[in-house]
Amino acid sequence: MDKSCNEPPEPPDPPSVYPPKLAAIIGLFESLPEEEKRENLVAYSEQSRRQEPKEGEKFDLEDVRKDEECTDTVGVFLRVDAENRAHFRITLGPQVQTLTKAMTSILCKGLEGATLGEIMELPADFVPRIVGGHLVRIRSHTVYYILTRMKSACKVLLNRQRAERA
Amino acid sequence: MSTEWLSDHLHEPNTRIVESNEDVLLYDTGHLPGAVHIDWRQDLQDPLVRDYISPKAFAELCSRNGIGPDTTVLFYGDKSNWWSCYALWAFRLFGHEKVKILDGGRDKWIKEGRAVTKEKPQFAQTEYPVPAKRYDAEIRAFYEEALEQSKAARPLIDVRSPGEFKGEVTHMPEYPQEGVLRGGHIPGARSVPWKTAVKDDATFKSADELQAIYTKGCGLKPDDDIVAYCRIGERSSHTWFVLTYLLGYTKVRNYDGSWTEWGNKVRAPIERS
Repeated sequence: MDKSCNEPPEPPDPPSVYPPKLAAIIGLFESLPEEEKRENLVAYSEQSRRQEPKEGEKFDLEDVRKDEECTDTVGVFLRVDAENRAHFRITLGPQVQTLTKAMTSILCKGLEGATLGEIMELPADFVPRIVGGHLVRIRSHTVYYILTRMKSACKVLLNRQRAERA
Repeated sequence: MSTEWLSDHLHEPNTRIVESNEDVLLYDTGHLPGAVHIDWRQDLQDPLVRDYISPKAFAELCSRNGIGPDTTVLFYGDKSNWWSCYALWAFRLFGHEKVKILDGGRDKWIKEGRAVTKEKPQFAQTEYPVPAKRYDAEIRAFYEEALEQSKAARPLIDVRSPGEFKGEVTHMPEYPQEGVLRGGHIPGARSVPWKTAVKDDATFKSADELQAIYTKGCGLKPDDDIVAYCRIGERSSHTWFVLTYLLGYTKVRNYDGSWTEWGNKVRAPIERS
């Protein structure tokens, strides 16, 4: 008997839990061998200054602080548009590590236009898929920090919106 | 060695420049021409057991980086050379004797606008002989030896920040908590933060200044049996280098288990002050 006849058809891929721009970046990194992954991380790190606030931009939330989890000050600037979609800008102190710079560019681009709710629900499991399990293992404390700060900013804004509605 | 000297000797025969950093991708962003990258964790530590690589793995590491037993290895790195001192100390564990540190490290080189490149050099494979032994007994201290040092009131130098020494914090300032359960210091240890040995630009202080700190200030004699420790052994490698290479002390050991071992060990004696 043809075994395949008894097997149920392959279910369709479940919808991605990641915003489309971030999903595209994840897909790109997953397709790269280790050396090219590092090269791309460095390339993203070199774009981190482009994520800084532009002159005249206004924000709904500005959170600039130095935490013990990071080697220098990080400023998170968040603007929410009429559709409750997030637009981030981030400033990094000069001592911030390269992986953190790379994650800053990746997340600013990948989460551009995502809703606050989508960002809050975002699982962190994509980080090793971008950075590679090896780098996560050897420097785990540096790779999640920016995502945590961005989620923290979203949470503050969501709480503020809830308070205004109440 | 100074940045000026290295700038003039970048392609000296039978030398190899090695970058070792805390920032795992920093080498990829640009490094000294001809420098290879040796990561303190990926390349020098055993991937499973908390220990260093085997002599065979060390020989393979050197061979693939074009390092022979007579090659002078010139180390430099970020964070005031913590990790390059750590890598240098690890090379000494395997008996590699020709080692130097770039005074001021990577930051000084970059600030001076000296040459950097992203080009990763390729060197002909060498046949580094497998070291006959690892010099753990000579330059490394384990928990039991640090405990014995404490009980015998022999010199123990705690090179962490004052807050860590006093037990006010269980991690280095600006770093995450790494799972240490107790704060404080090894009984009898003296607090001499690693930073005491360097100027603001991370270059080492003069021999006279270092003698004033360690010899006169701490009463350490050149032939004293000294153990230095910190959190995981990187900052104490820096002090080990200062005492051994800049002051010529003959019996200094690095307790690399350091506070992440001591502060978690059941019934390890602790002082707070």
